[in-house]
Amino acid sequence: MFRRGDKVEIFKKSEDEGWQDYMDEFVGFHGIVTDPDSNINDPDALIEVSLVDKGTHRIPQDCLRKLEE
Amino acid sequence: MSAGKCPVNSTIYRLKDMIEMNRLVDPYCRRIAEEILELIDDIAWGRAGEDHIPTIDSLSRELSEKGADDSCKETGEFVQTALQENMEVFVSHVKTHNCNTGECILLAPAPCQTACPAGIDVPSYVTLIGMGRDAEAIDVIRRDNPFPWVCGLVCTRPCEFMCVRARIDTPISIKFLKAFAAEKAMSDGQYRNPEKEPDKDKKVAVIGAGPAGMSAAYYLALKGYTVKIFEALPVAGGMMMVGIPRYRLPREVIDREAAMLEDLGVEFVFNTRFGKDITIEQLKEEGFEAFLFAIGAHKPYKLNIPGENDYPQVIDSIDILRNVALGERHSPGKKVVVIGGGNVAIDAARTCTRLGCEEVTIAYRRTHSEMPADEEEVEQAEEEGIKMSFLTVPVEIVGQDGKVTGLHCLRAEMITKAGSDRKFPVPVENSDFTIDADAVISAIGQQVDSEGFDTLTGLTWTRRNTIDVNRACMETSIQGVFAAGDAVLGPATIVEAIGGGKKAAQAIDRYLSGIPQPKLPPVPVRRGRLDFMEVPASTKMSLKRPEMPLLNFNRRRVTFQQVELGYSENAVREEARRCLRCDVCRRCGACVDVCRDRMEINALKLGYLDFDHPVQTDFRETADRCIACGACAENCPNGAMIIEDVGDERVLSICGTILNRLKLEYCEVCGTALGPAKYHDYITRRLKGIAKTTEGRSICVECARKMAAHQHNEEIIPIR
Repeated sequence: MFRRGDKVEIFKKSEDEGWQDYMDEFVGFHGIVTDPDSNINDPDALIEVSLVDKGTHRIPQDCLRKLEE
Repeated sequence: MSAGKCPVNSTIYRLKDMIEMNRLVDPYCRRIAEEILELIDDIAWGRAGEDHIPTIDSLSRELSEKGADDSCKETGEFVQTALQENMEVFVSHVKTHNCNTGECILLAPAPCQTACPAGIDVPSYVTLIGMGRDAEAIDVIRRDNPFPWVCGLVCTRPCEFMCVRARIDTPISIKFLKAFAAEKAMSDGQYRNPEKEPDKDKKVAVIGAGPAGMSAAYYLALKGYTVKIFEALPVAGGMMMVGIPRYRLPREVIDREAAMLEDLGVEFVFNTRFGKDITIEQLKEEGFEAFLFAIGAHKPYKLNIPGENDYPQVIDSIDILRNVALGERHSPGKKVVVIGGGNVAIDAARTCTRLGCEEVTIAYRRTHSEMPADEEEVEQAEEEGIKMSFLTVPVEIVGQDGKVTGLHCLRAEMITKAGSDRKFPVPVENSDFTIDADAVISAIGQQVDSEGFDTLTGLTWTRRNTIDVNRACMETSIQGVFAAGDAVLGPATIVEAIGGGKKAAQAIDRYLSGIPQPKLPPVPVRRGRLDFMEVPASTKMSLKRPEMPLLNFNRRRVTFQQVELGYSENAVREEARRCLRCDVCRRCGACVDVCRDRMEINALKLGYLDFDHPVQTDFRETADRCIACGACAENCPNGAMIIEDVGDERVLSICGTILNRLKLEYCEVCGTALGPAKYHDYITRRLKGIAKTTEGRSICVECARKMAAHQHNEEIIPIR
């Protein structure tokens, strides 16, 4: 489960329909979870991630992994 | 910095290489290639005008078609290809002065601006606020977000999560600075609309007067389109108005900012639901040529437990929040249970407290630490006396004589399932208990209400029941029909809706102008490069993010008055001075490298430069070791690090933060300013044993030469 403020990496492309073509270049980028699913902790929800130099996007959770602090 | 490649920058490197490697032997071709290089360089540094790209195109064509030899032709073809394949990026550099890869360093937006879904130029407006120029700050914000006051109060502030200052201590309080400036500008009568473009005589229909719809309407109106917004509710604002309680966002704030749209000529039609009161055919008949659906996500999920449909006291959080927002003030009951752990559950619970409910309990199936609601909101709810029942799984709403008497629940424990790192709440057998209640409020999320859309044939939906769009331009599966906001993303944030609305407006403008849609989402545009505010290093380090004063506890429990009272003017100006101006300092680390590795001084303790592994920063420590040699400033590619002589001192600063001040020494012969004593000592030490020095005397280069000439063959090495 991702929490607000978690540092994450996009480690792969997602197969989810919420993944857009332009997101392919995000793979390998790091960022911070800025708005997780704030209602029901749904692992299927698109969550808001702010990526270094790439802006803030709603991304499927299956392509994200937490970075150790 | 970014790992992405900027085609403008890559073209410069390749072309420079071709010229420097003497591959262009024909002098005429070489001169043309140098001219092209200069023009592309202008583009990379934000100096280009509208003629630059056509001129590059024509010069490179000349090379490829009329070049004296193969190398000339090859060079021309290379530039032609680079231009054709990346025309959009070249044009974006010229028009928006922006390079989203960060390679064209002068044009790269700061992390806070990049993080903002609306792309607001945060460093510029924070600096303006620091200078007391609040109305100008609002002008800057409204170029990318027409609702600075709303966002100043309720934005989820992704900018603050990416704020580089957080790597030192705490992020700049960007959100509250914005709220202050908006309120001040409005109060001073300085909150103004920009000039509209001439009327285009084209009509756009926007369905939904929420943040996405109104943002799109604002930017379309500025472009000269005639915009009409159709809204199902009797008021403007969408979820801002009916989903966020007034103690967080006063109605006047929304009304005042929505009124700015009316001033631009945007027309609102209320109490009009798409699919029921109007259809797309009717709108087309009225002359509308493009359509934006920004209908939000207002339909609640059902609890799906027995008793849910049996009692009128079982209410949905969306309904109660909407009714209260529209004026309802009756308490739903004395003892209320709210089911859910998100922000909406907290809002519903705190609203019930203000309506006079005696006991309000939030029932959540996980633990406190897993609550998805914002920590500040949970904290404030607990302060207001709201009870929390964690690890509580509702199983039935029970009642008698048509009235709710309680919520029957099971205790849960968090279990990790095989093959998953997530913990799930699993009910514990025989752990039944009942929470006494005379009203139960469900707050387990909401979705897009697609009722009435069956008439819109050809519109595709995602499996999440949201409108399927190309998120680079918000275009749906139907030509001329766009969508934005929660209707596309599901329940998301206000600032995302605003960003989506703005993006949709740009796409609608392209559509109605016959321009193809972009493949990539637009990148944020820098709105200026403001002067630095001078701050001593000690002040920069010691200033602390101010605490937000809150309404007193008793009044919070009984009224809908705004809880966060806002910063004082003094606190706002001081807070703005903490900004590191990341729009100028690109955190490339060149200053640190040269100081440590080349000069072997290691005076710059700037641990915030790295995102993944920030270490300690202390601007004050620079003065301990810095000799004011200026190597850092000389190697700074973007003018962030500056060394200059001010009066009788040499001053080193980074983006206005004064890192070091050293008294200058003067030539004892002619009185010309030399470097500081520390710098002289450094040079003397480095030259010791290598060459003869001025032996403790302060003499400028000119005088040293004269003395050397005078003393014939005696060698004197000048200090500087």
